[in-house]
Amino acid sequence: MTDTQKDLFQKFAALGSLLALTLVFSLVSGAFLSVGNGMTVALQVTSIAYLGIGATCVIITGGIDLSVGAILALSGVVAAMAVKAGAPVPVGMFAGLVVGALCGAVNGLCVTVLRLPPFIATLGMMLVARGVALQITDAKAIGGLGDSFAELGNGSLWRIVKIGTDGFPDVTFPGIPYPVMLMIVLAVAVSILLRLTTLGRHLYAVGSNSEAARLSGVDVRGVTLFAYVLSGLLAGLTGCVLMSRLVTAQPSEGLMYELDAIAAAVIGGTSLSGGIGTISGTVIGAFVIGILRNGLNMGGVSAFIQQIIIGLVILLTVWIDQMRHRR
Amino acid sequence: MSLHSAPVVAPVANALRPQADEPLLRLDGICKRFLTVTALANVGLELRRGEVHALCGENGAGKSTLMRVMSGQLQADEGQIVFKGEATRFSSSRDAEAAGIAMIHQELNLVPHLSVAENIYLAREPRHGLFIDRARLHADARKCLARLGIAIEPTAIVHTLSVAQRQMVEIAKALSIDAEVLIMDEPTSSLTESETGQLFTVIAELKRAGVAIVYITHRLDEMARIVDRVTVLRDGRHVSTDDFAATTTDEIVERMVGRSLDEKFPPRTSTPTSEVLMSVSGLSRRGAFSDVSFELRRGEILGFSGLMGAGRTEVARAIFGADLPDAGTVRLGGQPLRVRSPRDAIRCGIAYLSEDRKGDGLAVDMTVAQNVSLANSAAVANPLGFIRFGQEDAVAQRYIDSLGIRTPSTRQIVRLLSGGNQQKIVIAKWLFRDSRVLFFDEPTRGIDVGAKYAIYGLLDKLAAQGIGVVLISSELPEILGMTDRVAVFHAGRISAVLDTRKTSQEEIMHHASGRGAVTASTS
Repeated sequence: MTDTQKDLFQKFAALGSLLALTLVFSLVSGAFLSVGNGMTVALQVTSIAYLGIGATCVIITGGIDLSVGAILALSGVVAAMAVKAGAPVPVGMFAGLVVGALCGAVNGLCVTVLRLPPFIATLGMMLVARGVALQITDAKAIGGLGDSFAELGNGSLWRIVKIGTDGFPDVTFPGIPYPVMLMIVLAVAVSILLRLTTLGRHLYAVGSNSEAARLSGVDVRGVTLFAYVLSGLLAGLTGCVLMSRLVTAQPSEGLMYELDAIAAAVIGGTSLSGGIGTISGTVIGAFVIGILRNGLNMGGVSAFIQQIIIGLVILLTVWIDQMRHRR
Repeated sequence: MSLHSAPVVAPVANALRPQADEPLLRLDGICKRFLTVTALANVGLELRRGEVHALCGENGAGKSTLMRVMSGQLQADEGQIVFKGEATRFSSSRDAEAAGIAMIHQELNLVPHLSVAENIYLAREPRHGLFIDRARLHADARKCLARLGIAIEPTAIVHTLSVAQRQMVEIAKALSIDAEVLIMDEPTSSLTESETGQLFTVIAELKRAGVAIVYITHRLDEMARIVDRVTVLRDGRHVSTDDFAATTTDEIVERMVGRSLDEKFPPRTSTPTSEVLMSVSGLSRRGAFSDVSFELRRGEILGFSGLMGAGRTEVARAIFGADLPDAGTVRLGGQPLRVRSPRDAIRCGIAYLSEDRKGDGLAVDMTVAQNVSLANSAAVANPLGFIRFGQEDAVAQRYIDSLGIRTPSTRQIVRLLSGGNQQKIVIAKWLFRDSRVLFFDEPTRGIDVGAKYAIYGLLDKLAAQGIGVVLISSELPEILGMTDRVAVFHAGRISAVLDTRKTSQEEIMHHASGRGAVTASTS
């Protein structure tokens, strides 16, 4: 194999393993490769994907965001509490998004103005946001949120239902769930932002060499702040969607989700030292994790073994990626 | 190879052979390819005991690759290394060091947070059982440094040392392994005149001890002081090896570039106007420089001369907003300038080309085109901030052509290009920004003769367009050859502003060392 071929092979390692997983699971289980299960997997992947998209932007600047799991819980319960207090659902969810973006802004300001290491700044936010979420809810779940609150997480587009001759509804196409639509829109939008705009270019420049970027007149603080605000905003969105899907707001929701998000980015080829990463890679990474979980579940593999396998997959893909970048 | 840290004893069989004309080390028919690029094609080299062997060539000629093969960091695809009469293979630099071949890199390889002694004996610490024998560590390090005649405390933390001192620590480290072959890659590029002298004394000492030294340099003027033989490489091939006494620097340069170079500096076509473009008065920054005042005229090349650390770079960075000054005013075109960050400075038309291009000039993981447009990305984007890729590529291609940047394409990752080409990309970045004042900080450091000439031509062209150019340089011939006036720095102050045509190397040195009377003679 020439070096060029090797490079190509490794570049598509993540995509290749995704296809291989799909193939293996569809051979093992007949139910795996169906429209219905496909939608289930896509739906399960959405949380990791939203968070992963934010994580990718932050990691490209050379940072890290450990607080997204906690922020999503806080945003979700804030949205639910607002709705409980009588606010219309869109207003409540907007409040959730604002809370997420504010948490992200605090992260960004800690990193840019106070010059805290991103790991520490977001570790602090992780504890604070989770603490606030538990405190304001008394650590109790908020239920009884109503059908309109559930719409975002459970509704779908282009659902085709025929009323059969016996009078019962017959689902010919389950439709594309709103969270999945949202994932596609977000992935495309952020991908465009990163690849085609000057802001995206500056995110890469800051991560590649922040001093060179600063001396070239790039607004390093502004760009870095943007990445954390986006990550916080997406965490807020994840919170709203997730709580809507469950029709219950749980202050303990989203534990360890930040690690899934980082894993998705890293499996997709994002470099933790900054400057390198793509949204398409991260989405593939999210699907690798999601399909592994789904397929192993259907195969009856225990949750503990699943963890072990996912851990090994992360090590393997990152190792392959390291080989690609080594010279 | 085994990993002894003790000096390797010559094999017995070798001792029976006549030693007189046996080279210490011989490279035979070395070939090395990277992907599709041939870096070395059938290159040979012989090293004798106690000689200083200069290795010359333009950037990308294969000098560094050859030395990395010799020091075990790279393995040749073909060819062999014969060390002390035995064919050898080094599978790592550790292997080569154990055999007695050490390399001092241009980019220094020291651990900044450890002490000098800890760095010298890194991974070879003297031990008492499980623990480091600190007393011996420091005693050994002190002895090693004393041999070089340098006053650096073994307990000093490396990141508190100057670049020159770090270089000395690197040399001490190489000596501490009893190296018989020492490879020095541009050792003087960041040293002052007196430090260079000190280094040459050390080199002479090493020669007497029978160490063979490979000396890579772009500064041909300093070779006469130490070099015995000189080998020239071009495009990955061996061109010539001669006794230095039997050749001339002009011949060497001709072989390096493959054509004759009549002039080191292009003729100046620009003449400075009398219009003051930028005036600086009373600029101070605590601990760096104080009360610096000077004027820069439209179309002028003003030199900043002086020793390293005298304040040249610091003043430029302060005007550029990279480090903010404590006091003083800067006027540009008569208007007072308020600069709080490089962004502000760039908006006002001031550009600064850093002396440390990898550290803060380039994003090396990004492409040529991305680096060229980095300081002016709005100019290749539509009002919504979407980049026009066709335009960006066209801009990059324009500078690739006009500056002669050697790159396979505009989408090439900058890391993979040679130093001279990287420097040209930094220059392209600022040319694309259309600045009114350009600070060039050591623009020709570590780049080859041909690229230097191109950059000099460019400085002249910029000045002819009415731009004010400040050339910060440690090389006096460059200052004398290219500038209209020169501001000489000493200990954070401007000690003299001299008319370049009426001054001399001696006069500048005089003011730079602080011995000059403080009389500014402006033209």
